[in-house]
Amino acid sequence: MFRAAPFRIAVWSVVVFNIIFLGLPTVVIVLASFTAGDLLTFPPEGFSLRWYERLLGMRDFREALGRSLQVALFCTLFAMPSGTLAALAMVRYRIRFARTLQLYFLLPFTVPLVVSGIGMMYVFGDMRVLGSLWPVGLATCAINLPFMIWSVSSAVNRLDPDLENAAANCGATPLQAFFTVTIPALMPGIITGALLMFILALNEFIVSIFLVDASIVTLPVWMYTSIRNIITPDLAAVSVVYILFAIVSIFALDRWVGLDIFLKSK
Amino acid sequence: MDDTARRSETSTQAAVQVQDVSMVFDGTPAVDAASFDLAHGRFLTILGPSGSGKTTLLRMIAGFQTPTAGEIFIKGTPVSTTPPHKRSIGMVFQKLALFPHMTAAENVAYPLKMRRFAPADIPGRVKRYLELVQLGPYADRRIHQLSGGQQQRVAIARALVFEPDLLLLDEPLAALDRKLREEMQLEFRRIQQELGVTTINVTHDQREALVVSDEVIVMDDGRIQQMASPTTTYGEPANRFVANFIGVTNFLPGEVIGAESGRARVRVAGHELEGRVAEPLAAGTQVDCALRAEHARILGEAEAVSFSADAVITESIFEGDRTVYSVVAQALGGAQIRVFDTLHAGAGNKGIGDAVRIGWDSRHLMVFPR
Repeated sequence: MFRAAPFRIAVWSVVVFNIIFLGLPTVVIVLASFTAGDLLTFPPEGFSLRWYERLLGMRDFREALGRSLQVALFCTLFAMPSGTLAALAMVRYRIRFARTLQLYFLLPFTVPLVVSGIGMMYVFGDMRVLGSLWPVGLATCAINLPFMIWSVSSAVNRLDPDLENAAANCGATPLQAFFTVTIPALMPGIITGALLMFILALNEFIVSIFLVDASIVTLPVWMYTSIRNIITPDLAAVSVVYILFAIVSIFALDRWVGLDIFLKSK
Repeated sequence: MDDTARRSETSTQAAVQVQDVSMVFDGTPAVDAASFDLAHGRFLTILGPSGSGKTTLLRMIAGFQTPTAGEIFIKGTPVSTTPPHKRSIGMVFQKLALFPHMTAAENVAYPLKMRRFAPADIPGRVKRYLELVQLGPYADRRIHQLSGGQQQRVAIARALVFEPDLLLLDEPLAALDRKLREEMQLEFRRIQQELGVTTINVTHDQREALVVSDEVIVMDDGRIQQMASPTTTYGEPANRFVANFIGVTNFLPGEVIGAESGRARVRVAGHELEGRVAEPLAAGTQVDCALRAEHARILGEAEAVSFSADAVITESIFEGDRTVYSVVAQALGGAQIRVFDTLHAGAGNKGIGDAVRIGWDSRHLMVFPR
């Protein structure tokens, strides 16, 4: 290799910088959450679990977490079939306006979330369903659906196009082939997409703030309202709860799907 | 050959009949009025270059595409409107299309479950077919844990386990390296003969077609050019395309000057040559005289054959079991002719620029209209 050493040093500097930059805020928050003091500080003053204790004692927090989990579950359950079918349709079948449709599915990403939030507030308001949790789940599903579609599309692209023909050849009806061959073969992509959708819905803030009222506050909105009063270390503790969810899902992803599908380039 | 014996065992009704089947995509025919009959238990190979329509024809037989004209019969029953899952056809796909989320045994059991075999019979049958393809110990492996050759065998077992009326092979060996491909060709042949299942194989590999088949169809441009046994296909090609596609063949352009039963006299660059014809040709017809490279020879000192000419070697390629010379014969209008030399391969090679005398027996010359 020509001038290998300087190149390697440059690459490694970037890698180390990225690791520090990505990891440091998380480390700071995790450490700060164990502080024994009354303020969110770094380095933390002493060690205690008092803020976690306080958090668990708060009914507001427990209810907000429960609502966020409901929203995330609704979003995921809705995204799995719709995202999977959309991905299959766009990759497999020569449908008219396929490109236009792909762009249309990206629309929520290109429109600022504030705009989506206001729009959905009007839509759901006119339908007189504001005040329930499912519109929040539906909204988070709508804005994050591209993640589900991308994840399943990449699985569809890896699939042998003759797989369904092979099933038919084995005597499977189109419906049997779909459920016994296509869906299981796409499972890695579906699980990946579903976990992404779940985490994103759990974190969704901007659109949610337009769709929730005081009686159905979700966790991110609850955190935001808390900050407006005073920044106490229990917020750091909530962040750690989020980090835990993220770690659990990455672990689950690796167990069920294998993270190597993300590392393998096609 | 034992052809006649095998034929007399089978019923008179063909296992597969293809009648004037056409497939037109956007106005251009991919398959143009193809017709053939295939008797029970025979191994047919459809050979052709890519784009010749061979795969389209196979997919119509499998039921993945519906012919735009004509009819396909399997065991006498018209099937062109029958969906693929209601046809009794086993198929080995080009990329195998094994189910990635199942083990080898589950893949083989799948057609039995879908075709509602008695659940009690399934494990025994799966075991028998895995043993037939020598995969007994690998039953519980996942597909990605198997080697390329083992995956081929799973695909064969899956295609055969439900005892289909017909086995289709869609170039499944194309991606294998040469050694494994040749091994699998013989394996296909062994299994096919053991089970006696009627088989249609598609390939662009001429050697495979000659080695494994009872009958060969050569296709080009959507049309069947010839259907015959491997020996006839090679020895008596029906037209210029078949002669060129199979084997290494030289073509000498000329004009017919006279013909008698089955033979024609042709003028090539002032010489009068004589060769076999497949169809009667009128005097004056522009033709190509075809000569296989193994029938052209570099002659010894006093050797006499029915035709000989002086030539100069322009290229010499040593291939191990033979040396392939390209020579230019000024006496034949500067035609370039390839000559195989299997006798002196390696030792005693002639060099580029050497003057030699080449010749052939006129019974080997074939004459095709241009």
